[in-house]
Amino acid sequence: MTIVSNAMSEGPKPDTGIRLTEQQLRARRSRSIAIALALGAFVVVIFLVTLVKLGSNVLTRPM
Amino acid sequence: MSVTLARIEPSIAGVGDYVALLKPRVMSLVVFTALVGLLIAPGHVHPVIALTALLCIAVGAGAAGALNMWYDADIDARMLRTAGRPIPQGRVTPGEAAGFGLTLAVFAVATLGLLVNWVSASLLAFTIAFYVVIYTMWLKRSTPQNIVIGGAAGALPPIIGWAAVTGGVAVEPIVLFLIIFFWTPPHFWALSLYRAEDYARAGIPMLPVVAGEAETRRQIVIYTLILAPLGVAPWLMGFAGPLYGIAAIAGGAAMIALALRVRAERHGHAASKQMFGFSILYLFLLFAVLLADRLWGGLAAQAVSHFAA
Repeated sequence: MTIVSNAMSEGPKPDTGIRLTEQQLRARRSRSIAIALALGAFVVVIFLVTLVKLGSNVLTRPM
Repeated sequence: MSVTLARIEPSIAGVGDYVALLKPRVMSLVVFTALVGLLIAPGHVHPVIALTALLCIAVGAGAAGALNMWYDADIDARMLRTAGRPIPQGRVTPGEAAGFGLTLAVFAVATLGLLVNWVSASLLAFTIAFYVVIYTMWLKRSTPQNIVIGGAAGALPPIIGWAAVTGGVAVEPIVLFLIIFFWTPPHFWALSLYRAEDYARAGIPMLPVVAGEAETRRQIVIYTLILAPLGVAPWLMGFAGPLYGIAAIAGGAAMIALALRVRAERHGHAASKQMFGFSILYLFLLFAVLLADRLWGGLAAQAVSHFAA
């Protein structure tokens, strides 16, 4: 409790974190989109191969 | 206990830099030759499985390219041809390239094994390991035979393609392997003849740097004389049609003629440049005609069985 009240009494700290430049933000965004597309493509591949390999057997569930 | 954290500059690497790490031009040749191996294989494979296999082979080849650029960043920076690559340019760190390459390699091999078969996955893993460990880390910096032995990695994709369909290896894809294997030295030595200074500056013991131009020109002729008959072998062995035979004989004759011109050349490197350019066309032609031959043969057989029924 003491720690919290001390921290609150100090007020907002100056922002010392890394600030990305416009170029870095653009690069990160393009990388994120590419990773999302690659993951999406991987999911589609797994889905299609599952259909091809199992076909209608995907519904067969022995008890 | 105090821990000092190194300040890491946020990356400016775009998607294009990561694509460049995959060596897309090498990858396209790998995919093309693997496709031929896949299509000439006996038996049937579902198109989705075939595409999955090709995708895994492409990603595996790209992973090998990224790991090569990670290890070779120091010599890439010293060569004009490679100084513009993402790591020497400082856009991608060596660690990022290594992580990227390793992740893709593991994904490609595991996916190929789980979704297609483990024989082709093992061959892909062997190809990546051979290219990165045997060629890049060991041979490239230590012997003028680097591209001769290392060429095996680039020659394996038709065997992987064949194995993806059949689950095994046979003599036909081994012949295709041998064609690429014996094509690689005259192809790269023709290039190295007019890039010798670049290789010498980087400390790579390419044949012209170590043994001189005359010996390189002699070796180009020897390997081309082995390559030309090997190129005709698929027709002689009966797994390619007469159209392929004609293309292989004509292409092989042109390769030998160019190699002899390279041998006779005393000033400049016009013949070497011509040989380098034509060698790409020659390999592409052989595999493209083999592919067309097989597709055309397949369609013709389908038409015959359709009308017979």
